Amino acid sequence: MKFTNFLYYVFINIVETLIRFFPVPTKTGCRKIGSPDQDSPVFLTCNFHLTVLRVKRALRGIDCYLLVANSKGINVWCASAGGLLNNHSVISIIKTSGIEEKVEHKKIILPQLAAPGIEANEIKKKTGWNVIWGPADAKDIPSFLKKNFVKTTEMNSIRFSIIQRIEVASMWAFMISIILTIIWLPLFLRETPAMLIQVWYISLVVFLLFPLYEPLLRLRKRLLFVNLGRILVFLIILFSAAVGIVIYVFAIKQYEKWLLIRWCIFSVSVVILIMIDLAGTTPVIKSGLLEERTFSIAIEKEKCEGTGICIQVCPRNCYELNSKTNKIRMINAELCVRCGACIVQCPFDVLYFKNEKGQVISPDNVRKFKLNLMGKRDCCIACKISNQLIKA
Amino acid sequence: MKVLESAPYRYDRGIKILTLGRITKSYDRIIENIQENDRVLDIGCGTGMLSFRAILKGAHVTGFDINPEMLSIAEKRAKELDAKDKLVLIEMGVAEIDSFEKNEFDIVMSGLCFSELSIDETNFVLDKIKGIIKSGGLLLIADEVKPQSILKRIMHFLIRIPLVIFTYILTQTTSRAISGLEQKVESAGYIITATKRNFLGNFIELVARYEESDV
Repeated sequence: MKFTNFLYYVFINIVETLIRFFPVPTKTGCRKIGSPDQDSPVFLTCNFHLTVLRVKRALRGIDCYLLVANSKGINVWCASAGGLLNNHSVISIIKTSGIEEKVEHKKIILPQLAAPGIEANEIKKKTGWNVIWGPADAKDIPSFLKKNFVKTTEMNSIRFSIIQRIEVASMWAFMISIILTIIWLPLFLRETPAMLIQVWYISLVVFLLFPLYEPLLRLRKRLLFVNLGRILVFLIILFSAAVGIVIYVFAIKQYEKWLLIRWCIFSVSVVILIMIDLAGTTPVIKSGLLEERTFSIAIEKEKCEGTGICIQVCPRNCYELNSKTNKIRMINAELCVRCGACIVQCPFDVLYFKNEKGQVISPDNVRKFKLNLMGKRDCCIACKISNQLIKA
Repeated sequence: MKVLESAPYRYDRGIKILTLGRITKSYDRIIENIQENDRVLDIGCGTGMLSFRAILKGAHVTGFDINPEMLSIAEKRAKELDAKDKLVLIEMGVAEIDSFEKNEFDIVMSGLCFSELSIDETNFVLDKIKGIIKSGGLLLIADEVKPQSILKRIMHFLIRIPLVIFTYILTQTTSRAISGLEQKVESAGYIITATKRNFLGNFIELVARYEESDV
């Protein structure tokens, strides 16, 4: 039975990694892990099927309750930053899952990456439950419990490990493969397998080489209207794709003009598609499509009371508490991914977004408008419209 | 109806097109149960499609929704209709429905909201409404449901496929039709006084009464 469980786990991991672009919702509610009693810890996660499966695996051997909250089938970080895993999801699952009758304490361990979307203060106010921010990765939960709910720097930080990079590469390659197969198969049947290999090769190259070119992506220098670093990365990937084409042409020994043109067009298209928001596909660099990419975190030091909540929720370990002044300061500002978790959680509104032009996004605005990919905060067109609607 | 919720300013028109105008008639019909000066609660009021109909009948409406943008549109409309004193809007989720007073409402209504809720949430809401509605008060629901007959279920399924794919591609989310709504309402202790399903059986208008027992 255990072996079949493992097979099921592997199978679901592969399938749902390939279709990672799409949400896969699972039933919300309270799940028992082991044989919990009224003192057992209570964890919360999103209702993305793969996440629930992985969290349950990480919780093996711990007697506890797992609350699966509604995030519309999307993973914790995306859902919380996108406003789908929010205060209401947490309040709702606490009050409707019957957990209040099952345990005597009122402590709930939330995934750290839910911090951009869930306000601990609001949860306390509306339900009386205290939020404890858990580790960024569910795998660290056992050692988090052993350390009595204390997180180390490693537990706080988000990584982009080789396995995660292969997962992201597979997700891209699978989606592109399906679309290209539909187009290519009827036209060039014999060429399709080689083309699919090229797609997977390009995707894997992009994400496996990531640590090598990561510093380039962080370059701020611009050449004409485009970011110099991105152009360089684009050229590196393009070169790798060209290597693939050369290998193919030599392998089939056909030096036909149209074949070359067609392979160049589709390879360049694949590279462009993946490169459009390469930074945003990684968890360690902020998306270039986001409105506040030009903003950075500003600190109103005099307001800071030294709670250190920002340190607990920052997935990039950007903050440090100055033990002399008891105020926070940013020690790794260049690593910030602008997830906004620190701004949302700070009880004294010490932090906010500010850009070089002096434009400001207030903490309340960050809390209110989560799905900023659509540009809903007050510095952008869509928001101006909705602000006008409110004012009108 | 996630595709529409993500663009609140298109919500009403979108819903009307998708339901082929059915929603307007359904809402009009369900609102006929409301009398002048009734105190009405609108669960998941959104842009206020039901709320404003109730206000036009002379009711006092409290509406709540989790979507602040939809609420801001409702607020703007309330100003336009000069009905600000008749409408109270609150940003909250259904789990906070127990924050209202006992006997605070004569009518509790909801349009296209129950289909967004989980089974636990639905049961919770149906149970808690009993604590805030007066005895003899009415529960009005207009929502997407699963058809009862197998044939209609198949037709419903086929019609839904393109719609589901469309919404999925655009917003990566989908809504679910409720199954067994009548049974849930009845087992929560309400007396169903009228139900009306459309031809396909995938949209219901339900009227139920709550009588406080003497026990």
